[in-house]
Amino acid sequence: MRFIKHVWPLFVALALIYVFHNSWGVLPPLGKVFSPFQGFLQNSERVADRSDAAVILDGMHDDVTVRYDDNAVPHIFAKNDEDLYFAQGYVIARDRLWQMEFYTLVAAGRLTEVVGQGALEYDRFNRRLGMARSAMAIAQNLKTDSVANRMLTAYAAGVNAYIKQLAYKDLPIAYKLLNYKPEPWSPYKSILMLMNMRNTLNGGSNDYRLTNVLTKYGAEVIADLFPSYPALESPVVPTGTDWGFQPVAAPPVPDQVAALPDSNRLAFQVPSPRPDVGSNNWAVGGSRTVTGLPLLANDPHLQLTLPSIWYQMQLSSPTVNVYGVALPGTPAIIIGFNKDVAWGVTNVGSDVMDFYRIRFRNDSFDEYWHDGQWKPTTMHLETFKLKGGGALLDTLYYTHHGPIIYQEAKSTNYMRGIPAGYAMRWITNETDGADVLTFYYLNRAKDYSDYRKALTYFTAPAQHFIFSSNGGDIAITANGKLPLKWKGQGKYLLDGTLAEHDWQGWIPKDQNPTVRNPPRDFVSSANQFPADTTYPYYLDWKFAHSGRAIRINERLQAMVAATADSLRDLQNDNFNVDARRVLPRLLLSLAMDDSIKRSAEFDVLERWNYMNNADAVGATIFESWLDNLLAGIWADEFPRDERMLYPSLDRTFELINQQPDAKWFDNVNTSDTVETIDDILCESFKLTVAELRERWGDLSADDWAWSRVKNTRIGYLVPNFTAFGRTGIVNGGGSSIVNATSGTHGPSWRMVVQLDTAWPVAYGLYPGGQSGNPGSDYYDNMIDRWANGELDTLLFMKDVDEQSPRLRHHMVLKPKN
Amino acid sequence: MLYLLIVLIGGVLSYFAPWWIIAPVCFILCWWLARKPAHAFWVSAFAAVTLWLGYAVYLQVVTGSGLADNVAAIFTGSMPVLTDMPGIVIVMLVATLVIAPVAGFSGLAGVQMKRLIHPPR
Repeated sequence: MRFIKHVWPLFVALALIYVFHNSWGVLPPLGKVFSPFQGFLQNSERVADRSDAAVILDGMHDDVTVRYDDNAVPHIFAKNDEDLYFAQGYVIARDRLWQMEFYTLVAAGRLTEVVGQGALEYDRFNRRLGMARSAMAIAQNLKTDSVANRMLTAYAAGVNAYIKQLAYKDLPIAYKLLNYKPEPWSPYKSILMLMNMRNTLNGGSNDYRLTNVLTKYGAEVIADLFPSYPALESPVVPTGTDWGFQPVAAPPVPDQVAALPDSNRLAFQVPSPRPDVGSNNWAVGGSRTVTGLPLLANDPHLQLTLPSIWYQMQLSSPTVNVYGVALPGTPAIIIGFNKDVAWGVTNVGSDVMDFYRIRFRNDSFDEYWHDGQWKPTTMHLETFKLKGGGALLDTLYYTHHGPIIYQEAKSTNYMRGIPAGYAMRWITNETDGADVLTFYYLNRAKDYSDYRKALTYFTAPAQHFIFSSNGGDIAITANGKLPLKWKGQGKYLLDGTLAEHDWQGWIPKDQNPTVRNPPRDFVSSANQFPADTTYPYYLDWKFAHSGRAIRINERLQAMVAATADSLRDLQNDNFNVDARRVLPRLLLSLAMDDSIKRSAEFDVLERWNYMNNADAVGATIFESWLDNLLAGIWADEFPRDERMLYPSLDRTFELINQQPDAKWFDNVNTSDTVETIDDILCESFKLTVAELRERWGDLSADDWAWSRVKNTRIGYLVPNFTAFGRTGIVNGGGSSIVNATSGTHGPSWRMVVQLDTAWPVAYGLYPGGQSGNPGSDYYDNMIDRWANGELDTLLFMKDVDEQSPRLRHHMVLKPKN
Repeated sequence: MLYLLIVLIGGVLSYFAPWWIIAPVCFILCWWLARKPAHAFWVSAFAAVTLWLGYAVYLQVVTGSGLADNVAAIFTGSMPVLTDMPGIVIVMLVATLVIAPVAGFSGLAGVQMKRLIHPPR
């Protein structure tokens, strides 16, 4: 008794320490996290903490000086390239370590390890896509390339030097809240970062949705409603450009172009291409600028996140001096400029993801029929470790096309009792090339020929690389590996038993669409068709809607005496080309309904100037209506819940303007009446107004303002941590607007570069901040300026000793001995 | 005296050691200096709370950071009653609920273990 009386407090104390030292369910270890000495309060960053410092690190050859400016942008000056990339890794990890590791966990399908079983399906899908396996193979291949290998290895060493010196209290806050620790970095992880970008930009497909349409309606309807080239387009390479090459022969179109499902329509789980992911870039030649030298602009549109996807920096060594944005986790500058040239990227978005229906020999999945014989599959066992212990297994089968990403549970007509599967051929799993070298050489480019040489290393995701030089050149190239397809190949699901359905080669890289110094003296891209129908190769039947491209090209065509500010102004252009194209016809129909015509909403729409400005109520009504209008016309014939695809905006607008009597306007679900275009327009308009009133109250300039309804928000990478994100950002734009800011996506970096024979002047910012730490002043400090359409003047230093009032402090990285 | 020693020694060690270092500090100091079990418990708890809250407030004031508000919002996201409270108050409340019992029972354990081994005459 006496023993218990004296000992129990010790056990209680130990039990409490145990409880508070460990994580329980979603609760992090409260003792660690709430201790002001160790926990998250240690992540509150004082501006004074950023002062001059010297850090001694293992693995360097010489001193590296890092000078930080007033926007916390590091300017790194190294005496050799290995130290440069070592320092780049170190410096980025210092601001963004958690984020870059998180992205690699996503790409490798390992989120379950840090967030638990809730992420299992997402992980399983990402594993099936095969990105981790391909990243491993690429990293292995690059070991034989001395330049790429040295850059990636030095970068990883720099990241690891940073990780090594971290105590618990120094860990980025998300590690504390999610209760895990950073792993060592490696070149493989840098490649995983790039795989993520390949997936974001090329990881969508409408093949099975269109196959469902083909199954139900046949080839004639496809030709009518899903044509291979839009009615209104302004292609990247201007019409009339001489291709200047002898094309190689494309494979002939086979008799059978699709693998139709056997019975009912397929329920595939591959996402559609993301309509909000796209980008703008353009370069204006000297005849149109005040300086007589080119100007270049770029704004890649991605999901808006905190921490930001980009990180600004200057990298300088005896072989390079470049400024721009890097992707946290990968070496070199991705979009930027040096003394002589500037470059940027937008997504090409051609069809580089196809699906093959595989006929297995039996339910062991170890053989499949292809080109007249049984061929073996390769099997891989995938292990998913769960947070808090435990593991799950998944079996992955590979064909020569690529991984089986979808297995149909039910029997097929091929053979009773044997499930069908779909294998994916996807550019992301191409393991040749060295994307990082393209950026390595672009960072060092001096002229057009350097640019062309740098592009040859690139594999995927194919990008429109735009270019300008102070020698006066402007150019744009759809660059990356593009499969050589028969016309229409991969528009539908393909038949995995037929050799002629395989990818049979590649478009020769020097025959990718490209143009240099066109007569109109500007080049541009906004994810539209890279080329018109004279281009000899098939790229895809559909690209991004042409709204942004048309507006950009109209404005550039009219541009004279352009300055950097002219380009900044165009980046913020809110003009709605779709409204100009279709609204006059829509209003005609609305005006026939008296109750609509007398409404305040109609009045607003009629007076609207087609600008998607932040305060525009007309934009709110038009954009909201467009969704209901599309559903009103197409939802009866092409219901989305039956996994069908709507015809494009372009085809829909053509139908409204040119074929108002088309049978498609009739709602086939009402058998006793035949609806006209007027009925559908009025009905969908009334529905829209009712929805808006219900959500936002009666029409008012404040409540119905476009920025309020659109509600641009920038979420933290862990969706549950909403308090680390920002909502209610006031700005205009829209997904088909040059200022492509929708609710969740938008310009993730805006840059304008004015080249000069002496020294360039450049401007830029992104919606976030340099620090990935929510406790830092530099976490989201650029967001308000970004929303206002402003750009920062970028400090591009000539050398390490340059003086500027904008420089705040410096850090010297010193080798250990 | 006991109170001051816990704050001072606990403070210095907390700077380097894990969060629970305050527990052995309370245990040893109470073994040595505490007069009664209740005394040990409450002085330890108050001293540890002083230390944690004092440093938390110091960090909050010096950095002027909104981090406490944001983290509090993440923890209280599903409890609307708490969302009106300033974040730092919620943070201090949780910190108190963690460290007060840990330190209190550690101090109590110090006295009781001493009494087990050297029973008071």
